[in-house]
Amino acid sequence: MNCRECKEHLYEYLDRELTPAVAEEIRQHIAECPPCGESFDFEKVFLTFVRARCRAHGASPELRRRILDELLDE
Amino acid sequence: MALRLTGNPAEADDLVQETMLKAYRAWHQFERGTNAKGWLLTILRHAFINEYRRRTRHPETVDIDAIEPFSVFEEVQDDDPQGTFFDRIVDDEVLRAIDQLPEQFRETVVLSDVEGMSYEEIARVLDVPVGTVKSRLFRARRLLQRKLYEYAVGMGYIKGNAT
Repeated sequence: MNCRECKEHLYEYLDRELTPAVAEEIRQHIAECPPCGESFDFEKVFLTFVRARCRAHGASPELRRRILDELLDE
Repeated sequence: MALRLTGNPAEADDLVQETMLKAYRAWHQFERGTNAKGWLLTILRHAFINEYRRRTRHPETVDIDAIEPFSVFEEVQDDDPQGTFFDRIVDDEVLRAIDQLPEQFRETVVLSDVEGMSYEEIARVLDVPVGTVKSRLFRARRLLQRKLYEYAVGMGYIKGNAT
């Protein structure tokens, strides 16, 4: 696995979407290649940050009641 | 998801209500044991495309393939390789940046990073191949990252590279 291939799979790796064999190749590459390791760490920070900031706001009690009323009328 | 698609809390509520009603009426079509969340989000997205988008937002004419993935890491690796500047960006700013993404990028990012769905689940909701989900997610996240980086530079959270 070279740097370019490794970067192509960056998000798939962080999203745990790769097969165990490919994920292992990436783990080995980033352990041995500091520039790739740093860029993976940066992307991981970014994803964790975005997800933490976007925690889905659930439906309001008022909306829940509206939906329930309408379903009961069906 | 509804809020990010419509960009308006009242319309998001209406969209959710309509989705639940449609789901209730179509309950017999739901295959037990399959993913209920994916099924509901598929209904929600179709409802949005069929009704809300026509009335409110216009489909973008942006050529998303022309958007070059831009690596923020390469810009910040000397000053802030750990991305600590992200910590200073608040929720509203992130949501605003997501809302500004082209629609195909926005829905992919929302399904992945907000709704926590797998690539295969997203592919089913959007009715596109998994490969398309991968490439859109890559470009969408990089574009979102660039917007947030530019915001952080504008706010003085990080030094921008003068170009």
